[in-house]
Amino acid sequence: MSTGNLSRLDPEEVAKAVTDFINTTIMARSRPVRPDDDLELAGLDSMALLKVLLFIEARYGFWMPDEDLVAENIRTARAFAAYICRRSA
Amino acid sequence: MSTTPVRRLPLRGADLVLVAMQALWKREGVSNNTLMIVQCDGPLDPARIARALERFLGVCPWPAARLRRPFPWGPLHWAARARGPLAAPLVRHRHLSAPEALHVELEAELNTAIDPRREPPLHFSILDSVSEATGPQSALVVTWFHPLMDPRGGQNLLAHLAHLDETDGRAPWGGAPPAFATDPDPRPLKTRGRLGRQSQRYMRALVPVSPVSPGTGLMNPGRVRFMQASFVGDDHGIGGVRTTREVCWRLALVGRTMADLWRRRGLPDLPFLVPVSVDLRPKGELGATFGNVLAFHFARFKPSETTDMATLTRILRDQMTDALRDGQIDASAVAMEFLKYRPLSLMLRDLPGTATRETFSFNFADLGDVPPALDKLFGRRVVNAYHAPSVLPRPGVGVFFNRCGIKNNLVVSWVEGAMNEEEVTRIVEGVREGMRWRPAR
Repeated sequence: MSTGNLSRLDPEEVAKAVTDFINTTIMARSRPVRPDDDLELAGLDSMALLKVLLFIEARYGFWMPDEDLVAENIRTARAFAAYICRRSA
Repeated sequence: MSTTPVRRLPLRGADLVLVAMQALWKREGVSNNTLMIVQCDGPLDPARIARALERFLGVCPWPAARLRRPFPWGPLHWAARARGPLAAPLVRHRHLSAPEALHVELEAELNTAIDPRREPPLHFSILDSVSEATGPQSALVVTWFHPLMDPRGGQNLLAHLAHLDETDGRAPWGGAPPAFATDPDPRPLKTRGRLGRQSQRYMRALVPVSPVSPGTGLMNPGRVRFMQASFVGDDHGIGGVRTTREVCWRLALVGRTMADLWRRRGLPDLPFLVPVSVDLRPKGELGATFGNVLAFHFARFKPSETTDMATLTRILRDQMTDALRDGQIDASAVAMEFLKYRPLSLMLRDLPGTATRETFSFNFADLGDVPPALDKLFGRRVVNAYHAPSVLPRPGVGVFFNRCGIKNNLVVSWVEGAMNEEEVTRIVEGVREGMRWRPAR
């Protein structure tokens, strides 16, 4: 799986990739989330969160450690994207 | 001979496991009932519920179906004739002498096993009572044969009935009824076969020895009982993440209370084997109603590992992550589908302790939030809703979480002989303390 050029990650593109992943593998087709939607309110549970972490690992090549699993980094797809870009800079 | 066409809904994956688990206890005639209890802020009208149910049967026959297996061999399925001859499930109505009588009624419901070959697989009860504090109120109880649907399915059924009640006289669901059951896995047989074999290998390697449970050695199981308590209190954690809502944290907490039981009984420090159900419905909408739309993850940890909750939570999370990464959770769902080709007696042979009926150490589930679609029901506000399933004599105990509004419900089901009330009370108190919850009024 491609890890892309991590030093040139575009936050918008990453947010779109995370959002697309959530919408295609976790959400019902009729209830897609947007990049700024609260993922817990959208219905993502512990198992769904792990799926997102595995997606990040496969796509961007690193595992989010437990200490980074704070609301600031995981509340929305855009928050995930910001974290991914910071980690990859 | 009737020429009325028969509709069939095959039992799928987890439905078959539930049938097979009960079959292990066929001689003892144990119940496979499960309950959903919805407490409302005033009396419910049985006629409204019966009318909604009648309308529902017009689009979906499965609440009135019978369990069938073609002779001499064939897949287990729900069979229902076309709408005309269908007899609607019962809607019973009783007035209780006092609110305290409700629990007695509920335990009786749990123990009166539904025989889905001869009667509808579910029925409703409206149990009215009057208390000085709250005035007249009703509990709507749905009792069903567990392989028909899972707890989320039970909630969905009620949500659909509530919708039909609200749209009385108009076309429900905007004229397009939702899918009430899931479609079969579209992947080719070759792919599913590979995944099924992968899961089989995994299951056989998972735990080398039979697990121990509170029901170990129990030869004459008693009645199924349950204790329910409602609590309030926010989930808490680090950095704004509600750690105490995470399924692994809750399992670790329940594991700690079980380890205490193990210590008191002097049970060996063998690994717990605990099935953790994974809802396969897409998020954001109700999803399927009928069928247990579940896959399973199998958590393993020793009682002695429960002293450090943070470390145990991380271990359990790592196990779950590995299972996801290796595709074992998906494979478990696929493997269960193949059970339809096996006779009941052989369905569970990949579990380590089936020969001795020692399948798991205890049951555990977090059923999450009751959906907003159940805020109101048949003209009444829902005050609380929870799920009480029966458990088998082994393991003999199960701990179940759910949340309705601000109320966190904890239900511990057990079998008399495997556990006693004092031990169950200790589990409830241990969980309450660990969650930092306060009793709800």
